Amino acid sequence: MKYLLDAWLVIVLGIFFGGTLAFVHTTLDARIKKNQLDETLSQIPSLVPGACRGEKVEVPGLTVFKGLREDGATSGWVIQARGQGFADTIQVLIGVDAKADAITGLYVLEQKETPGLGDNITKETWREQFKGKGTAEPLSAVVAAPSGHQVKAVTGATISSVSVCGIVNAAVAKFRERLAELEKR
Amino acid sequence: MDHLVSLLLLALSTAIINNFVFHYFVGICPYIGVSRRVDMAFGMGAAVTFVMGVASFLSWMVTYFVLRPGASLTAWVAGLAGADAGSMDLSILKYAVYIFVIASAVQFVEMYLRRFFPPLYKAFGVFLPLITTNCCILFACLEIGTDKRMTSGSPDFWPLDLALVYALCGGMGFALAITIMAGIREELDLCDVPKALRGPSIVLIIAGILAMAFLGFAGVDTNIGKLLGR
Amino acid sequence: MADSQPTAAERFVNGILPENPIFRQILGTCPTLAVTNGVKAALTMAGAVAFVLVCSNLLVSLIRPLLKPHLRILVFTLTIAAFVTIADRLLAAYMYDMSKQLGPYIPLIIVNCIIIARCEICASKQGPLPALGDALGQSLGFLLALTAMASVREILGAGTWLGLTVLATKENGGWFDPWSIMLLPPGAFLVFGLLMGAVNWYSARASKPVGPA
Repeated sequence: MKYLLDAWLVIVLGIFFGGTLAFVHTTLDARIKKNQLDETLSQIPSLVPGACRGEKVEVPGLTVFKGLREDGATSGWVIQARGQGFADTIQVLIGVDAKADAITGLYVLEQKETPGLGDNITKETWREQFKGKGTAEPLSAVVAAPSGHQVKAVTGATISSVSVCGIVNAAVAKFRERLAELEKR
Repeated sequence: MDHLVSLLLLALSTAIINNFVFHYFVGICPYIGVSRRVDMAFGMGAAVTFVMGVASFLSWMVTYFVLRPGASLTAWVAGLAGADAGSMDLSILKYAVYIFVIASAVQFVEMYLRRFFPPLYKAFGVFLPLITTNCCILFACLEIGTDKRMTSGSPDFWPLDLALVYALCGGMGFALAITIMAGIREELDLCDVPKALRGPSIVLIIAGILAMAFLGFAGVDTNIGKLLGR
Repeated sequence: MADSQPTAAERFVNGILPENPIFRQILGTCPTLAVTNGVKAALTMAGAVAFVLVCSNLLVSLIRPLLKPHLRILVFTLTIAAFVTIADRLLAAYMYDMSKQLGPYIPLIIVNCIIIARCEICASKQGPLPALGDALGQSLGFLLALTAMASVREILGAGTWLGLTVLATKENGGWFDPWSIMLLPPGAFLVFGLLMGAVNWYSARASKPVGPA
């Protein structure tokens, strides 16, 4: 009991800080969630041509956003996917057209690849290769000149490039399975 | 089998490839301070690994059952009080709770050592309470409590077995790094180090060279994973 | 008794070089290595540490008559943890990119030895004004150390400083082939070790007594 009395300051401080943190949480939480969402939504116009805004869609097991035109029609979808890269997890946004037949864009949200080598996957010139690629067959990254369902790997960062292709393939395949039920909604 | 492969790759990745000291820069203060002799360094490494295991387990429990959004215990208490059970999210208290869990774990380890291994307890001296401020342990608890990297498709939370493997192998990686440095430093005592570089300076430069060596391990887990069919 | 302790101004000046937290006391080395691959990240981290240090020092200094010796570390830890949580949430709300880049290193400020050491050495023994001077001095020392490290690493590793081009890289049509190693962990260790050697050398020279002319 004596210990409890001795610790009255700790208990009082604990309650005081608990209250402060609760206050901070209620004040800032909405803004933080908005920041997280904005990061993805701001990319949608560049990932899906014709879309001027995005909207989150509930799909079990996937994080998907619908790209909407001004008149409210769906011009495409954006899938958020993650997977193991060379060094750490890579998180990407993949834009596909309304029927998920072709990829319309790629954006790297998070990566911790080797600076100067693997992190060239964030460069616009490399990501542009994905635009227009069909989704019927999986993509692969090659060192030589690419053709058809291939993209050129970043020089000196083959594993990072292959990882990104893997992430894209898995996410697009999963999404295509779900597209049918999504369109019914 | 697939799960076993996951555990193996995680162990390899945490202990060697993404070594806590050489890749994430945590635990540098004891790394510079305690790496004078191999026996002290190994003892510190072992103590940190043990505390990490205990602290990670406790913090995983607290996060899973109390702190995360929709946790069961919190929802039950909220239900008793009549509040909306689904919206209880205590994650703002994460940092304070983790550091208290770590401090308590260190206290328990101290009491245990003092009771059952007195000579070891005396040898550690002041370093044992200092493990509380070792970044490694808080870093491991934070990674387990927050990160969702290892779970693609499953709910965004670390499973307990992966969390324990992560913590213990992280500690072992730290032990490996500090023991290597101690071995080098024992030899360094006989060398002629320039005056300005003596002490922490030369330790950091050697750590840089060691970090370069460890960079060579990058990508090993991805390729082993490929060999094992992922 | 209070006269023998350093004044606020002395505490402030001490924190910059003589008792620099990074190069002389060798505390808080984890963020020094981790967030210094760009000057912007280093400045943000230094700002966060300054916020936590000033708030904790002030609060501990104000409640110092109530502290019990065997529970004081607990009180320090609780205070620091609360302020770090506030700093973390503020960063996530108002500087989201930086918050993502700094990642787990902001919560690691809780175990940053600088803050606990300052609470123990200064704030629990002196009034609010010396505590404030101490906090500001140590924060300034920390900021200078971090900026020095980050400048070296960013200029040599990417040719930029705070995002502005200093050395035109080959990619952008210049001549400089960036030293990628500077952005990687080994570069951090090497730059830190060499800078510490430089500070040691300077301190040894500065304190050498001046001989006969």
